[in-house]
Amino acid sequence: MSAPSLLDVTIDFSTSHLVFPTIVGTLLVLMGAVLAVARRHEIRAALAGGIGWPTDMDGLRFFGTLVLTAVYFLAMNEIGWRWPNRGFGFLSASMPFLFAMSVLYLHERSRRHLMLAAVVAVLAPLVAWLVLFRLFDVSLP
Amino acid sequence: MDVLALISPAFFGLVAAGTVIGIFFGAIPGLTATMAVAVCLPLTYSMGLGTGLAFLLGLYVGGISGGLVPAVLLNIPGTPSSIATTFDGYPMARRGEGERALKIGICASLFGGLFSLVVLYLFAPPLADFAIKFSFVEKFLIILLALTLLAALGSGMLTGLFSGVLGMFVSLVGVYDINNGGNGDIRLVPGFLETWLESGFSLLPVLIGVFGLTAVLIEAEHGVREDAATKKLLLASGKPFRLSVFRGQWVNLLRSSAIGTFVGLLPGIGGSAASILAYSQEKTFNRKEPDAFGKGAPSGIIASESANNGLTGGALIPLLSLGIPGDATTAILIGAFTLQGIQVGPLFIGDNPGVWQAIVIAMLFANLCMVLVMLFAIRPIARVVMVPKYLLLPIILMMCVVGAYTINSGVMFDVWTMLAFGVFGWLIYKLRLDMAPFVIGFILGPSAEVYFVKSLESFGTLTIFFTKSWIAMLLWVLILASVTASVAIARAGARRARMAAAAEA
Repeated sequence: MSAPSLLDVTIDFSTSHLVFPTIVGTLLVLMGAVLAVARRHEIRAALAGGIGWPTDMDGLRFFGTLVLTAVYFLAMNEIGWRWPNRGFGFLSASMPFLFAMSVLYLHERSRRHLMLAAVVAVLAPLVAWLVLFRLFDVSLP
Repeated sequence: MDVLALISPAFFGLVAAGTVIGIFFGAIPGLTATMAVAVCLPLTYSMGLGTGLAFLLGLYVGGISGGLVPAVLLNIPGTPSSIATTFDGYPMARRGEGERALKIGICASLFGGLFSLVVLYLFAPPLADFAIKFSFVEKFLIILLALTLLAALGSGMLTGLFSGVLGMFVSLVGVYDINNGGNGDIRLVPGFLETWLESGFSLLPVLIGVFGLTAVLIEAEHGVREDAATKKLLLASGKPFRLSVFRGQWVNLLRSSAIGTFVGLLPGIGGSAASILAYSQEKTFNRKEPDAFGKGAPSGIIASESANNGLTGGALIPLLSLGIPGDATTAILIGAFTLQGIQVGPLFIGDNPGVWQAIVIAMLFANLCMVLVMLFAIRPIARVVMVPKYLLLPIILMMCVVGAYTINSGVMFDVWTMLAFGVFGWLIYKLRLDMAPFVIGFILGPSAEVYFVKSLESFGTLTIFFTKSWIAMLLWVLILASVTASVAIARAGARRARMAAAAEA
């Protein structure tokens, strides 16, 4: 056997869960630093313009999507608890959610568009419920 | 399991249904094959192994193929893999040859799909047989090679590698699994989340988040503009389609399909690379009509479409023989396989010959369905690209929520995971990092950890990664080659950019 070298490693089983995360974490920090240096001109340009939300962003539709989706999760679960194992939580939360999302995304909220959105908001969850819950036995809230 | 036990009328019915739904997803700009598989996953939760796989593979083939419809008719690639189809497809449509261009694309897609299926059938089993001999050392090096390859051929070595390592880091959250020889201790989790994150983030909610919700958020950020409705569809007023257009195209078909299959084999590189690579090769080597490209040359469509369908079989080769996904869509397929209790890897084909044959049959049938549906229903499909987004995106969101919620039979934490990773995916997009390496790093992270730590535990020296066998040495040569190639490509690109800038000045 050759003499022990720098490349020899002994891993203690009790701390073995930290070996790989430490290596990967170190790599991540190093590469992040190199990436930041490589992109320094862009970063400087971005910082020069002041920190804030991009001006070309449609904030209402973007954050509206996030808020409505979160409310949808909560409502679906809450209603689902009242009548368990029937998928009613899904059904009754999805219809207003779909309609609200369509209205949020519409640019020109004419009567015709709103009617179409309402019809889809009723039909789509119904079809999904029939197919998933009734036909495929997928458990829905 | 015997192949006959898996195949039933329902099996073929679900391949067909999956293909049709996939075509619609592919045809609608902004929706992709990956999203089709992610969104339709809950349908397979209660299906059996054979039928579930049949449906998902149909979605995959249909989703990749459907992208050519808006590429030709609206100059918008329906999926990224149809990008080069727009170069010549749209000029043809403007001449009134929309239907002809579509049919040329459909036939080329069929050729590419079947070509790659033959390659898959011939090469996956021997590759798997070879890979069975791999020890943890070689398996770790294969993952390392996959990561460097996808970084080298993606949008930039550094960005790709960083994204891949980030995915790996996120995958290590939770307990070092005892089932894999770990010590069962938790890491990288803040105390108040320990109950929820004990086994880390669930794979499918993460994937549904980054591929489903992220796409919706990107649309919402840009204000959900209806781009399809403003343009007029140009189907058929000019030259009709004849099969004779394929005369003299054999070299193009074979080369482009082979490029697509090869690109599919390499992990993490999507269909857009396959399509553009095949297109530029055909443009370079075409002597008959070199000036026609970009103005409506059928050869351009043939190159792009045979390459992107060539991807389908190619991407399944590393998935089924090594357990490494070849692209984002097959990454989701890994999740679906796991759900059905199947571990993909070198042992998969040998242990499950029936399932393997069923996969090949499903792919074959999906390609045939794709051609029949697209050839005979091209007009209704062409109308689908006009479905307004304000109706479509809410439905996609609903399906994402259902998919995440039902995966573990109603764990709300999974839904929050989906939402968090949807936002995270949007951040990745904003920071111009790469999603595909992130996802593949995320999927392969836990295996990489086990292979690496166990190798060191048994051999006690880092030199083992170089000296274990000739395969290990060969893998290092390939890793170095991919790094060198990527540096060379980046330098050449920078030089071209400098020259272009100098020419402009």
